[in-house]
Amino acid sequence: MAEGKIKHYSDLLENKEISCKELTEKFLTEIESANKDLNAYVKVTPDTALETAKKVDEKLARGEKLSPLEGIPMTLKDNISTKGIETTCCSKILEGYTPIYNATVWETLSKNNAVLLGKTNMDEFAMGSSSETSYFGGAANPHNINHVAGGSSGGVASAVGGNIAVYGLGSDTGGSIRQPASFCGIVGLKPTYGAVSRFGLIAYASSFDQIGPITTTVEDSAIVFDAISDYDKMDSTSQGRKGTPTVDSLKNDIKGLKIGIPREYLEGIRDDVKLSIEKACEVYKSLGAEIVYFNLPALKYALPVYYILACAEASSNLGRYDGIRYGYRTDSYKDVNEMICKTRSEGFGDEVKRRILLGTYVLSAGYYDAYYKKAQNLRGSIVNAFKNAFASCDVILAPTVPMTAFEKGNAISVPIETYLTDICTVPVNIAGLPGVSIPCGFNDKGMPIGMQLIGDTFCESKILNAAWQYENAAGAEVFKASQYGVKL
Amino acid sequence: MKYEMVAGFETHIELATNTKIFCSCTTEFGADSNTHCCPICIGLPGTLPKLNRQVVKYAIMAGLATNCEIANISKMDRKNYCYPDLPKAYQISQYDKPLCEHGYVQLSSGKKIRLTRIHIEEDAGKLIHKRGDTYVDYNRGGVPLIEIVSEPDIRSVEEAKEYVEKLQQIMRYIGISDCKMQEGSMRCDVNISVRPEGSEELGTRTEIKNMNSITFIGKAMEYEFGRQVDLIESGGKVEQQTLRYDDVTNTTSSMRGKEDANDYRYFRDPDLVTISVTDEEIDELRAKIPELPAQKKERYVNELGLNEKDAQNIAKYRNIAEFFESASDGVKNPKTVANFIIGQIFRRLETESDKEEFNIATTAEQLKELVKLIDDGKLKNNLAKSTLEKMLDTGKGVREFVSESDLAGMDENTLNDLCQKAVENNPKAVADYKNGKQKALKSIVGFVMKESRGRADAAAAEAKILDLIG
Amino acid sequence: MVTHEDVLAIARLSKLYIAEEELDDLTKAMDDIIKFADTINNASEEGVEFDNINNLSNAFREDEVVPSYDREEILKNANDIDEGHFLVRKRV
Repeated sequence: MAEGKIKHYSDLLENKEISCKELTEKFLTEIESANKDLNAYVKVTPDTALETAKKVDEKLARGEKLSPLEGIPMTLKDNISTKGIETTCCSKILEGYTPIYNATVWETLSKNNAVLLGKTNMDEFAMGSSSETSYFGGAANPHNINHVAGGSSGGVASAVGGNIAVYGLGSDTGGSIRQPASFCGIVGLKPTYGAVSRFGLIAYASSFDQIGPITTTVEDSAIVFDAISDYDKMDSTSQGRKGTPTVDSLKNDIKGLKIGIPREYLEGIRDDVKLSIEKACEVYKSLGAEIVYFNLPALKYALPVYYILACAEASSNLGRYDGIRYGYRTDSYKDVNEMICKTRSEGFGDEVKRRILLGTYVLSAGYYDAYYKKAQNLRGSIVNAFKNAFASCDVILAPTVPMTAFEKGNAISVPIETYLTDICTVPVNIAGLPGVSIPCGFNDKGMPIGMQLIGDTFCESKILNAAWQYENAAGAEVFKASQYGVKL
Repeated sequence: MKYEMVAGFETHIELATNTKIFCSCTTEFGADSNTHCCPICIGLPGTLPKLNRQVVKYAIMAGLATNCEIANISKMDRKNYCYPDLPKAYQISQYDKPLCEHGYVQLSSGKKIRLTRIHIEEDAGKLIHKRGDTYVDYNRGGVPLIEIVSEPDIRSVEEAKEYVEKLQQIMRYIGISDCKMQEGSMRCDVNISVRPEGSEELGTRTEIKNMNSITFIGKAMEYEFGRQVDLIESGGKVEQQTLRYDDVTNTTSSMRGKEDANDYRYFRDPDLVTISVTDEEIDELRAKIPELPAQKKERYVNELGLNEKDAQNIAKYRNIAEFFESASDGVKNPKTVANFIIGQIFRRLETESDKEEFNIATTAEQLKELVKLIDDGKLKNNLAKSTLEKMLDTGKGVREFVSESDLAGMDENTLNDLCQKAVENNPKAVADYKNGKQKALKSIVGFVMKESRGRADAAAAEAKILDLIG
Repeated sequence: MVTHEDVLAIARLSKLYIAEEELDDLTKAMDDIIKFADTINNASEEGVEFDNINNLSNAFREDEVVPSYDREEILKNANDIDEGHFLVRKRV
């Protein structure tokens, strides 16, 4: 399955085997039926999509060449601001909110005539691992709709895995791209912090959030990443991609590549997942790569560090939802303060409230040093530990999630246990590293298993190269299309 | 028992940048509500701040002008509190690594009021309460501020007023703010406590918030000092609280209860990166700091011979000081220039802001030309004064009002003829003089001066006349 | 041990109301989370001072005015507006 879908559809358009309008309509039709099962989209935007399709067809009629993403039907997670199109973060508190500006990533893609099919489901404010904290209900896994698509970018993963979008952009704060990609048997890239502009991404935790592509193949991931990884003057933390486009080195030989596996990542991992990782190692060895095991003890505190710092930032980022300038406002109140408190209490869901409370707690007088400050220092240790690790290996290989997609309803009932499932994904966000999750098999119930390749900062080329080589070698064994969506 | 006042200031000053601190909206004052706004300064979800370079430069200049140490490494923090005028529910400010620390402002007595710190932050929007409804305007939201925090070194209302005036002068001099208190571009919070004279301990302090006139600051402090003293004298205790000053009743009242004691949960703003300033950059900014009013005053007294009061009045305003300096450059007696400024020119500049703006029709070059004519003895004082009035009315130079012949002086023959004429036309005065009336001579000389329209040299004329009638 | 009072104080700072019937469960949940967070205090190491990801400095904008948005756009998403202002009306 090394052939990319984006290139495939682009060729169909260029060769006039199908018009962009027909292609778009095919997707819109499939969304109408599949979305009943998947609940991937929370808003479908046929007018915007068809308008863009028309422009693309006109361009083709004039005999002009298309850029790689032009005319390709896609979706955006509902926390990416789209001018004139409702953007809610799947929260009641942003019901009816229509941005008056575009997120930089969407500005870039829409200039490239990307065909936006709609906005996709997510955990409320990206807080969750199953998409079930969404105000609009969870998104289903296209491989088994009794299971969740994962989260928080569950809608994008469900749509891409269910073939009702060619690709989508999600956001990853503690695993929110990689985990649902893993659950849905597809590819999710969390870029280096600063590689993709955050301007217009509705913040959960500013120093962790990154936008990245969710695609069915590694090549697609590289194409989308190359298109969106520009320096943006609107984002002080933006640096853009460093080096040549990742597609250029995608198919490079990996003979002699040193793949490191920190032992900590294999602790507490379910057997079926462990087995898949071991098999993947064999594939890599057959490609001439070298596998080295080592210890990364700093990871021990990664999870609490992540939750403390992410929630602290979230408690501040979410202070602005006060019912005055946008979004939901409560009906009855005595004074402005009560209006604000009631609006927030009625507008936010339970998980969001819990994280706001935790964040406020760890920042408040008397607790700051013991929690926030300490966690910040441990973050420094984790950053250094990875730096040292990359001195002795080129990429790190690890499971994406210790298990496969949960059954619906399980995640929501036990918050702490759900937090623990982020154990493999959060270190990457803590250290600002790039990580890509790719499918590496199925368990006996037919649920996809994913693994991630982690690189040093701005080394997307390296991890995508390693990912492509694995995908190319493992082929159909690890990738299986779901029953849903467009087959073309 | 006698009590002493102990006070410190927190002064907010809006910086005179073109744009806001984190977005490119204009900072212009007085526009229609919510017309100087964009997604960033109304805090729309997903927006990010980008720091205005000029804000950092201006703040460093403020620090240099007040003898602060400038931090090479600094950062921005979030101060979290929820209020409708604060669109993000946090103010981006600086907590533990301000740009400037450990400075001072020197009063005319020589006493130094120490500055703890100067940091940069964003202003909030404006709330208008009408019939219980709350109207919100975010034009001011995101306007850059510096906050100047002083140590509790102030001991009297006079010192307080001078401190604020000095700050105002300095900031205007270095051109980083217009410091217009009535427009809110300079606002003061005062921390005030009292203690028995001679005591070293600090009493419980109260904070009077947001005062926007020097007069009110004085009145509020006087009132609050009296209130605290009365309270202690009557066996009560001062309660730590935030107060509002009411200029109508001239009293202070509590703004919020203890219940709401704020916990701002400061933490580093993850959307902004470290501010790093090199010593070279600091030196470049130091080179831009002009001579400040205190130094100017000293120089005017010591080098230009002005008296203390005149020197101070001129040095206070940068425009006027610069006008004075260029008008007096190369003249024999700078005091003549100072006299014209303090006298005739100040009469035309009634208010402080008139003086600050210093819009007069006459240029420094034009005044210098006038004064040089006086220096050369070509123009007499009375004529010079009336000429300056005409110059200030019209903006025209001295030559427009004083002819060549006026300035040419008078040759021997013309003076002889005029004196002859004076003697012939004033027989009574001549007779009176001869009869011993000394005063009569003056009126004969006066005739010559009048006929010559002030050009004749009075002493020479007197000698001539004496020759003629002697 | 997180108490009811702790939760209520934190909620007040967070501008959230906690219903009476929610308080027990929420306090328990908060206590679990805080216990979990507390594990970092078992770490023997002090850690390393963390500046910012990628250690960036000096991302500045030049002081040049860009026209602001139309007021209509700025007020577009508000619940209530009047005379060009965002408005919170008095309710009984």
